[in-house]
Amino acid sequence: MIHFDEMACLLYLEGQLDSQRAQELAAHLEECAECRNLLHALQSETTLLSAALTEDNEAIPARILGERARRLPTWIWTLAFGAFAASAYWVWVDGLSPLFDPLSNAGFGGTDLFTMIVFNGAFWEGWSDMIDAIQIGTLILLAIVAIVWIRRRLRRSVAIAVVMSALLLAVALPQQASAADVRRGRTIIIPAGEVIHNDLVAVGPSVRIDGTVEGDVIAFTRYLTVTGHVTGDVIAFAGVTLIDGTVDGNVRVASQSIMLQGEIGKNLSTFSRSLNVSSKANVEGGAIALAADGDLDGKIQHDFLGLIGSGEIEGLIGGEAWIRGGSLTVTSTGEIRGPATFEGPQAPEIESGAKLASPFRTEITQGIRRNRRTAARSMVRALFGYVAAVAVGIFLLLVFPGFFRATLREADSIGLPLGVGAVALITGAFVWIMGLLLLFIGVGAGVAAAMAFAPVLYVAQVFVGAWLGNKIMGAAPADSSAALSAWIARMAVGLLILRVVGFIPVLGGFVWLAVLLWGTGAVLLGFYRLSRVEIVPLPA
Amino acid sequence: MIVAERFIYEIFQPIAAYYLLDARRHPEGMNPADEAVLQERIALAKAGNAEAWGELYREYAPAIFRFCRRAMPTREDAEDATMDIFVKVRQKLSQYDATRPFSAWLYTVAANHCWDLLRRRKLRQDLETGEVENMPLEHPDPGQLEQLVQQRTNQEIRRAMDKLPSRSRMALVLRYYSDMSYDDIAATLGVRRTFVGVVLLRARHQLREILEGKGGANLATGGAS
Repeated sequence: MIHFDEMACLLYLEGQLDSQRAQELAAHLEECAECRNLLHALQSETTLLSAALTEDNEAIPARILGERARRLPTWIWTLAFGAFAASAYWVWVDGLSPLFDPLSNAGFGGTDLFTMIVFNGAFWEGWSDMIDAIQIGTLILLAIVAIVWIRRRLRRSVAIAVVMSALLLAVALPQQASAADVRRGRTIIIPAGEVIHNDLVAVGPSVRIDGTVEGDVIAFTRYLTVTGHVTGDVIAFAGVTLIDGTVDGNVRVASQSIMLQGEIGKNLSTFSRSLNVSSKANVEGGAIALAADGDLDGKIQHDFLGLIGSGEIEGLIGGEAWIRGGSLTVTSTGEIRGPATFEGPQAPEIESGAKLASPFRTEITQGIRRNRRTAARSMVRALFGYVAAVAVGIFLLLVFPGFFRATLREADSIGLPLGVGAVALITGAFVWIMGLLLLFIGVGAGVAAAMAFAPVLYVAQVFVGAWLGNKIMGAAPADSSAALSAWIARMAVGLLILRVVGFIPVLGGFVWLAVLLWGTGAVLLGFYRLSRVEIVPLPA
Repeated sequence: MIVAERFIYEIFQPIAAYYLLDARRHPEGMNPADEAVLQERIALAKAGNAEAWGELYREYAPAIFRFCRRAMPTREDAEDATMDIFVKVRQKLSQYDATRPFSAWLYTVAANHCWDLLRRRKLRQDLETGEVENMPLEHPDPGQLEQLVQQRTNQEIRRAMDKLPSRSRMALVLRYYSDMSYDDIAATLGVRRTFVGVVLLRARHQLREILEGKGGANLATGGAS
């Protein structure tokens, strides 16, 4: 008997044989058990293949499920980046660029434009409006997030109804729910005799406390005057600060000018243009001060640490003193009971009669150090920087290959990471300022959070470099062992180009800014994508 | 007795399997009402309605991702391919002919995209696997084949399929996952229609070898022994 071959059997099973051959085969099957068995085995194989292939044994990645959200808003991010670029340019031209020269020359003094903008500007007049705007913005943002979140789960009308009623509820809720006593207005006065048995948060152009606050005072204002009694801390961000009363706790103030005349039970931390501790003032604890002009006429019972442009000590420092700045004078009435150190361009001037526990230890800092750096040295530095960046890239590629690829993939859609980077940098700057404030308030965690941003900024260049290398040398192979060296080569080339372009005076700056934003955005998105690759329950 | 057995094995089982599996491959199903909704959605999406496009996407993205996951070597490749496929689909939506099933058209776009990608890489890989077109295929022993098939789980099949050369894997996926016709497979893979059966059969032989544990080495030197 002539058997049919496997090919014919398969084609028969799949209905691909012409009718005449099919009839022949069917007739043959009637009498041939072996061919029947073969056909049956092939059929079983088909069933197994179909079953294996159609079995749903994998999760659909969130990236796929969330596609729509990813594609749509790209232009929004690009727009955000445009807005950021415009505002960054404005800030630079109007504020930052005149700041750098005097700041670097005089250490800390003469930053009038800066202080003018930050502490004196129209900004301060509008603080209460600002706070309102921020609150409204936050509410709107929350509402949008809520809508998006709920929409995934419920139908449209239900979602809108839920969010609207939640918003109404939030608005209708009585405001006293908050822990502190919050006051707002053009002028906030706690008159003498009034006692607030709570923390006080005051926001407005002018804040005056003549009465008693049994708690902390937190103020955002242009003029802050404390003549009464505060049993807790005074934490303020203000234009002009005058403390004439008694504060049992700490005083932490960022202000254009600070005038201290009263009693402070604990420590003093200030960040200001001018700091004046008058002869009537008494600080029971230590003090940390950053100021362009510092006059210490009063008493500081413990250590003093200061970064002061021009300082004058007429009063008492009960502990150790460490001062860095432009000039320092200790007058005949001055007294320092602990060891004293001064770092500055010239030795401090000590008038006769000044009481020092030990002579000033002085370190003369060189004002003009940069010129000594030779070109060769800066070349070596640049080379070192380049090698370090490549090494970091290789490290990332070897240790976190998934993260590396995810980030690079994000870098490919240029607008989105640029926008995310811009937004991240703005919030990052905000976090930095908050961190600085927190430093004053004494919480290191805020600073640590801000610091965590630094590695991301550094790593940004690696991914932009790798992206650039990919564009120039063609995409690296996705898998196989040869991929690693190909990736490293592309990254090295891209980084080299970035570094060389970065040397060009003006353009280089812009390139670095773009790299920073772009790479940061990509890294953050990469983190986000990785964190989202999760087991998603399959839709039925 | 024999009649009943044959009925179950040769007629009932394949038909049942076909319909059960088909529901997964083609989410729009057989319901005419669903079909009307689908066509309306497609029309809206063609007109640029983002909402309708979103619905289409959400409905079909999982199926297309699963297709890519089977056709492409890695999960990341599959994710990227899915994204790109839907970008293409959106651009080409105006070319969709409403008389054809939508999912079939979708699979065609997906298959072409994946095969393009694979072919671009294939230049390199084919040097490793060599040309196997002209090797004769040994006639299998039905009993052994039946035994082999009965012993294997779906997972083992999937793992073995990952080891297949691109074209073999693609052919099996197109035929047994996407349920494509021989004509469409021929068009996608760029082979003559009469050659599709050969490709499929060869793929099955390669798969059997991998399952029997003598895959890798033999494949590299030229397919079936």
